[in-house]
Amino acid sequence: MELEKVDILIVGSGASGAAVAWRLAGSHFSVLCLEQGEWIRHDDYPNSKPDWEIRARGEWHYDPNIRAWDADYPVNVDDSCIDPLMFSAVGGSTIHYTAHVPRFHPSDFRVKSLDNVADDWPISYFDLEPYYDLNDEMMGCAGINGDPANPPRKPRPMPPIPIGEDGVRLAQAFDRLGWHWWPSDNYINSQPYRGRPACGCCGNSGLGCPNGAKGSTDVTFWPEAMARGVELRTGARVSHINTDAEGRATGATYIDQQGNTHFQPANAVVLAMNGVGTPRIMLNSKSDAHPNGLCNGNDQVGRNLMFHPYAMVAGYFNDDLLTYRGPVGNMIMCQEFYETDPNKDFVRGYSYQVTRSTGPITTACGFLGGPLPWGESHHEAFGTRFGNSATMAIIAEDLPEPHNRVEIDPDLTDTSGIPAPKISYTLSENSRRLLADGIANAETLLREAGAVEVVATHLLRSAGWHLMGTARMGEDPANSVVDKWGQAHEADNVFVVDGSVFVTSAGVNPTPTIGALALRTADYILAERSDLTTDR
Amino acid sequence: MPDAEYNLTPSDIVALGEILDRIVPEIDDLPGAGSLGLAQAADDLSQHLPRWRKALIIVAEAASLDPAARAAGGWPALEPDEQVQSLKTIETSLPDHFNGFVELVYAAYYSDSRVHARIGWQAGAPTESRWDLPPWDPSVLETARQRQPFWREAPE
Repeated sequence: MELEKVDILIVGSGASGAAVAWRLAGSHFSVLCLEQGEWIRHDDYPNSKPDWEIRARGEWHYDPNIRAWDADYPVNVDDSCIDPLMFSAVGGSTIHYTAHVPRFHPSDFRVKSLDNVADDWPISYFDLEPYYDLNDEMMGCAGINGDPANPPRKPRPMPPIPIGEDGVRLAQAFDRLGWHWWPSDNYINSQPYRGRPACGCCGNSGLGCPNGAKGSTDVTFWPEAMARGVELRTGARVSHINTDAEGRATGATYIDQQGNTHFQPANAVVLAMNGVGTPRIMLNSKSDAHPNGLCNGNDQVGRNLMFHPYAMVAGYFNDDLLTYRGPVGNMIMCQEFYETDPNKDFVRGYSYQVTRSTGPITTACGFLGGPLPWGESHHEAFGTRFGNSATMAIIAEDLPEPHNRVEIDPDLTDTSGIPAPKISYTLSENSRRLLADGIANAETLLREAGAVEVVATHLLRSAGWHLMGTARMGEDPANSVVDKWGQAHEADNVFVVDGSVFVTSAGVNPTPTIGALALRTADYILAERSDLTTDR
Repeated sequence: MPDAEYNLTPSDIVALGEILDRIVPEIDDLPGAGSLGLAQAADDLSQHLPRWRKALIIVAEAASLDPAARAAGGWPALEPDEQVQSLKTIETSLPDHFNGFVELVYAAYYSDSRVHARIGWQAGAPTESRWDLPPWDPSVLETARQRQPFWREAPE
């Protein structure tokens, strides 16, 4: 049976796909989204189960290679020092993110002009600002304006979530050192918002929020998008994008859960599978018009993969503040060391995301670090750490390098037989120096706050939360994949809206920037691409 | 070498209990993990995660094949310090599997209600334990707000 043609076919329902779907909903375009995963029932999340910590180490692990759901695809990480983390369900990786949502800075869009590294973006912070605001409103941002490290912005939709006694202790240490700190912007409700409840501060929001207080797109954009006519088809695993003789997209081929193959025709395709999934499908979409993969005539698709290499510095205190109380990743942040300092031996900088601790199993097995010692020293080590720690996560700006890339593994496939990706990634010397600086300053801060012991994990392997750069935007078709609107240079009805389009990574979590870019592309389609509408 | 389908025998469980006592020894009036009877719990728990199951089988087998243990008539017959040495040898020769095994033991130990009582942990689903944090107090920003904006300007 031939499927009915749609105007806009979105592939992926996470931070970007959902935003595009919502923005186009109710317009003159018909919109369909294909999602390889399913809706997750909120009472299936680990946080609604007593054995949540054990589930988090297996069937709910952040790493698809460990979680290994049918909807996941495996990733060959033999040549990478960081494992990519992602989630395959309605809402994508917003299901398991911590919802810590700082914005890029104006300088992040101009690193070539300012620091003579990498490339400038073809857009500026202020081009994106209204879309940041819109994304914040829809996802539900709790925070407070007035941060001196960032341009002025509108009042946040909600006040900050409480930072707790542990947050106050660290904030006071930042103040004594004269270093910047600010309550994090979070997509977590500090009060009831748009029909969703306030956060109960129960702990690890990275495992999905059972009561819907965290802004994942399955509870933010999707209900409104679907109410206004967008179709979301789950269990639909796209194998490749189809193109015509001129190289324009004609739709996508997908495999359903029964193993049946379908062709979904469309006037335009929006790729929203993020920095590994999107290049994977583009590289799997070879045709006569695109012999190297979709829109890959310049061999740029899959290159310039950026993670944020994470170092973690944990401080252990002896005052029993029960630091597992509250959202784990959402205390305060610091951007004192965000910009290039000519006195340092590296360029660009980093943020600190100050995190809480977690439950006893995770503590013993090593939260953001290695497992605790076994044997006679175990109890002392556990007693020092459990409920007594705060961790400074160093989010280092990762600069693009062509050899860091996503390719197609010659042997590995998902359960539908679709070729799976292979990651090649090495840590640059600049990143290594940057992390070392971050570790040293974190130790200074934690000691100032009263930590009796400080332990650093110099590079966290299981930390590829942020997947960026593999179909980057730019003015020059020779060295970029899409233009400033996310429209592919080689096919004017193919759009990329996820972290793949990032030119550089900045030193902050990327989700609000992904959402803002997606909303901006949707507005471009609405305003400029009425040619993508089929007369009905 | 037994595969992951291998079922531990009653004597395997006894030996495993001894191993658990060395991994997590007694503390205060709480016995070690093995003496708490958690060997069976660890065996059951390992069924849920293939890498834990594999680690358990490999470490248990490595312990049983320890030459000193064989000479003594079995791993439980070793003196406690000999048992620790045996485990350190296994840890050195099979680090990944040993780490997985230690994770499994910690998961079993810190799932136990007697352990929860000792460490003051409120067990159950996190959603059932809504913490009441002190409400947001804007006065904590008094110092931070005094700083002039220092974000870096960039050319449009």
